[in-house]
Amino acid sequence: MDIDDILADIDGGSGGSLATEDLQALTRAWVNEKGSPEILTYPSELIERVMDRIRKQIETIEMQTGDMDPKMNFRLVILQTELERFKYLIRSFLRVRLAKIDKHALHILTNSEVKARLSASEIQYLTAHQALLHSHYRASFLAQFPPNLQRLDDTAGGISMVEHPDLDQVIFCRVLHDVADPITIEGTDTADVWLKRGDIFVVRWRHVADAVTKGEVELI
Amino acid sequence: MYGELGNKLVQHAKRTQSLAHLPPYQTEFVRAVTREVRDLDKDASVTLSQLGTGFTPSADPATACALLVNHLSMRRNKRCLLAYHRVRSNKLEEMCWNGMDILEQQQQSQQNRGGNNHGSAETTLLAGESAGVNSLSPEEEEFVRQYSDLLAAYKGQWTDIDLTGSLEPPRDLFIDVRVLKDAGEIQTEYGSINLTKNSQFFVKQGDVERLIAQGFLQRLS
Repeated sequence: MDIDDILADIDGGSGGSLATEDLQALTRAWVNEKGSPEILTYPSELIERVMDRIRKQIETIEMQTGDMDPKMNFRLVILQTELERFKYLIRSFLRVRLAKIDKHALHILTNSEVKARLSASEIQYLTAHQALLHSHYRASFLAQFPPNLQRLDDTAGGISMVEHPDLDQVIFCRVLHDVADPITIEGTDTADVWLKRGDIFVVRWRHVADAVTKGEVELI
Repeated sequence: MYGELGNKLVQHAKRTQSLAHLPPYQTEFVRAVTREVRDLDKDASVTLSQLGTGFTPSADPATACALLVNHLSMRRNKRCLLAYHRVRSNKLEEMCWNGMDILEQQQQSQQNRGGNNHGSAETTLLAGESAGVNSLSPEEEEFVRQYSDLLAAYKGQWTDIDLTGSLEPPRDLFIDVRVLKDAGEIQTEYGSINLTKNSQFFVKQGDVERLIAQGFLQRLS
């Protein structure tokens, strides 16, 4: 079995139930989020479905715990292991997002296109957290500053105070579907790069960001 | 010299990054740097008002240079202060995530300090141990309180997941643990376990994660 077979298995979707597909989608979203310098779109429906399933699984486990049948116990162990793994995936996914939200807070707040990628509760967290930080700085020292120096998003003086994600960060990615348009990478002697299915590239994030959003390329 | 105090704050911040606990808040330095900024601003506005409107930098390079230095020093000081506070607040947030009860420790160590007057050797020892924790400014205490609320509010939406749980991928459902401190009785789905010091158990990881983080239990590999 070589990599093409595995890929065909993954995105063929044949025979896989919705639950299996969701697991793949979640894993992919998680790896993408971990690899990319920018925050990606929040997959609200996917998370919703997975959370529903987790809730059901917890109920099932609670219902069957009293049972002393050894066969049943073995099944429970498997169920619980699966549950723990799902919980880990979601937890890690959310935490990676939160870390990015904290890091690029002002960038996200001022950029409505990026802000739209967050879930409602993430936006809530972001605004509350920023307000909190701001009032903390203000109470600690900023209030005693001259008024023209009190801003936190100053760009004067040659240095911007807003931290932006590094779109030029290098990432590893694998192409899932053939991409119609070639990507051009400035500063190299290769003119156009065609993204063919199964290819693996080391490339700057900015060149494949669109393809990743469309699901044509995944990070590894 | 301009900016020297700011530099000290940055050095403190740098040191804080590699420490496990939070060193005491440098109230004096923060105040002094803020004062320096205010003085510089006053100087700058005095110089500017003396010059009036018809000022051309090329005609009077000395004054222009003085203004520039003042201006840059103010900005630099601001950056130093922000960096110092940012490092500390990041650290506090991290502690909140790890489930450490910072405020309680703070109160405890304050009480211990009060207890020192009675001359008990034990409290002196305790106060010495937790001296590193008793180091928040009043503003920071407020910050921690509000951040914990914020975190709890966000976490509350994900009760099934336990967001503050371990970020290590789960390998085994059950693990061996040794009890380091008496932790009382805990309820698991297989009945209750009494965690007494030095005993050893084979338990579900999810049930005891919190206790491991808090230092009651030790995981045996």
